[in-house]
Amino acid sequence: MKQLTVIGSKVMRAGLLSMFLLIAGCQSSTSEEDVSEANSEKNREASEGETLNILTNVVGGKNSEEMDMFEKEVERLSGISVNMVKPPSDYDQKLLASISSGEQYDLVYLTKPQLDILVEQNALTDLTEAVNNSERLSDPSIIPEEEWDLVETENEKIYGVFNKLEGGTMPIVRQDWMEKLNLEQPETLEEFYQLFKAFSEQDPDGNGKDDTYGLSTAGLYDIQGFMSAEGVKARYTIDEDGNRTIPYATQAAVPVYEWFATLYEEGLLDPNFATNETGDMREMFLTDRAGMVTYWDAWVGLFNNTAEVEDKEHFEAKGMAGADGPNGKMLRRGDPSLWSIPVNAEHPDMAMEFLEFWHTEEGNILGTLGIKGHDYQVEDGEYELTETGREHSMDHGAPYPMNQQFENPVGSYAGAEEAQSVILDNNSTVETSTADWPEAEKIVENYALEAMMGEIPADEAVEQMQKELLQADLIDE
Amino acid sequence: MNLWKTVKRHYSLYLMLLPILVYFIIFTYYPLVRGFIISLQEFQMIGRGPFIGFQNYLEVLRDPQFIQVTINTFMISGGILIVGFVFPIIIALSLNEVMQSVFKRFTQTVIYLPHLFSWVIVGGIWIFILSPDGGLINEILTWFGKEESIHFLVREDYARPIMIASAIWKDAGYTCILYLAAIVSINPSLYEAADMDGAGILQKMRYVTLPQLVPTMKIVLLLNIMGILRIFDQVYVLSNSAIANEVDVFMTYTYEKGILQFQMGIASAAAFLVLLMTLLLTFVTRKLIRYDEGM
Repeated sequence: MKQLTVIGSKVMRAGLLSMFLLIAGCQSSTSEEDVSEANSEKNREASEGETLNILTNVVGGKNSEEMDMFEKEVERLSGISVNMVKPPSDYDQKLLASISSGEQYDLVYLTKPQLDILVEQNALTDLTEAVNNSERLSDPSIIPEEEWDLVETENEKIYGVFNKLEGGTMPIVRQDWMEKLNLEQPETLEEFYQLFKAFSEQDPDGNGKDDTYGLSTAGLYDIQGFMSAEGVKARYTIDEDGNRTIPYATQAAVPVYEWFATLYEEGLLDPNFATNETGDMREMFLTDRAGMVTYWDAWVGLFNNTAEVEDKEHFEAKGMAGADGPNGKMLRRGDPSLWSIPVNAEHPDMAMEFLEFWHTEEGNILGTLGIKGHDYQVEDGEYELTETGREHSMDHGAPYPMNQQFENPVGSYAGAEEAQSVILDNNSTVETSTADWPEAEKIVENYALEAMMGEIPADEAVEQMQKELLQADLIDE
Repeated sequence: MNLWKTVKRHYSLYLMLLPILVYFIIFTYYPLVRGFIISLQEFQMIGRGPFIGFQNYLEVLRDPQFIQVTINTFMISGGILIVGFVFPIIIALSLNEVMQSVFKRFTQTVIYLPHLFSWVIVGGIWIFILSPDGGLINEILTWFGKEESIHFLVREDYARPIMIASAIWKDAGYTCILYLAAIVSINPSLYEAADMDGAGILQKMRYVTLPQLVPTMKIVLLLNIMGILRIFDQVYVLSNSAIANEVDVFMTYTYEKGILQFQMGIASAAAFLVLLMTLLLTFVTRKLIRYDEGM
């Protein structure tokens, strides 16, 4: 009996200690697990009730509190209870991991190249019939027919519905500097060169220091507006026989690389351009260090708004089309950003209801202005942004809705609509990508940057690109 | 039978081990086995992909990019291993001779500090130092009359040395502390005996300190060997398209294949090849340095 008591006592102690270790182990894993636990908790709630599970990247609030408010706002406006998971970073990784591990979402946010990969993996639901049967989504006065062409897969099926109207990238210039220096809008590479020279040498910010550059980019992102001078398009072109070419790796691109090498050598191009992230480039522009950057059209308005919020006395950003070439202007239209329904979604019908709501006026106001009472107020039918709303720059995931009938009740930021028109009116096309592109991109960027910095002659760089791309079977000619 | 008796006798201890065992099974061994299975499959996101034997492994080994990253990994890791092994010993021996304890502690703290920073911070510091537009090194070069700035971070000839130097700058302090701790624990009578024999500073270092540091050196070497093929963070932070060909390593290859290109089968195969290489390297190193002897 005594022995049993001793054994019992030992077991109890061991059990208590094990529990303690387990608890200690759990506690040591800190906040990351807290977050995933919170998400799991949300998922549990979702499976118990009729809640739509959404994996989102850009749509929603700016922090966890606002995400909760955003979910409530969706429910208030649409009657749909939603649970939105918005990973703070590495969205692509999270998307892949979620779908591979069998996590169930009713809607996932993705871009067209990601959609193509997931369709190949049979991971997404065919929405062709659902879209055709939807009065709202199939209405060409809401979503133009030609926009649907951008998201159709090779077998003419639709697997994703638009999140927003996708703009494009373009040269964005300091219009106030141009006016100050009496400069005309450039049309050719030579005129762009003269513009950058003036920005670099004539002290456009008036601080008496030689500290301005004509142009800043983030690597090759996005020099399409200058490549258009030679009629060269980024990424792949694939002919009718399926032969793949990368125009940036052809002799046609050589004069543009040489032009960049001149800019670099003469100090007109930001010397950090090859290592810049887009944030560095934006900062150069906003802090009066660069007269031009190449970025998204929507940022024209955001730049102007930021300058206004920061009380900058002289600042006006303006979007412009690139250089004229044999094919006229050629700009890059962004890959469509979409909502898709995974094949293992629990509530596909509810997901379609959400997508219809997202393209209504209420949905558009939510995607732009944000949450009523938090981001904006309505008095006597007049919409007014709150201070938080102004900080959020009318962007809650869809700053420019696809709905053609929608008019932003607050209006748009200075230069934004004009920039969007430049994109839509100047031969802006979506780039053609393949699954191999990330591999090819490294080869192209490596030699292109060397040529642009004058490390090697441009024609030699192009020759090397072609050689390596052919060897790796990444192009056919 | 003996094993069972031992388990029965110490069952309370084994019960206490249980949570840790469960932890390792769930979070280490299961993913390892699952990863190996994926490496033998044609990866599919939903549903089970067909088994294709060692096809993914063959594809990785035939990939010219994998051959390039193998060269890069061994060049960069080799540099980090050799310089990162010798450099902290020199600092530790030098610091040990510093009599002023305030200066000694201050120096220890300063050289240890970078180890506490994440690679994002360290990368930011190095990018700032090496920038052609107002970077510290280029400013110094300008003072010495050099007119044109050097863009160190996009020059292929500087790429690998920068990776090696930044890794050593970050971690030398940590290894140095290990050596200093080992030096402190050396029996003082050995130094007294050396003094009586008329040994000078260098002779004491050569015949007393260094031999006494051998066990610590073995541990440091083995730990470094086990980690060298897994370098990722610094390359991810400091690399760019202009130098990628010189600095892409095994882990960036795995990341690109798995995360950017969604080729999980290939990525898993590459990861297992790295694991095998690490095992082999560790085994050979243990034998060469006679790790189990004299510890």
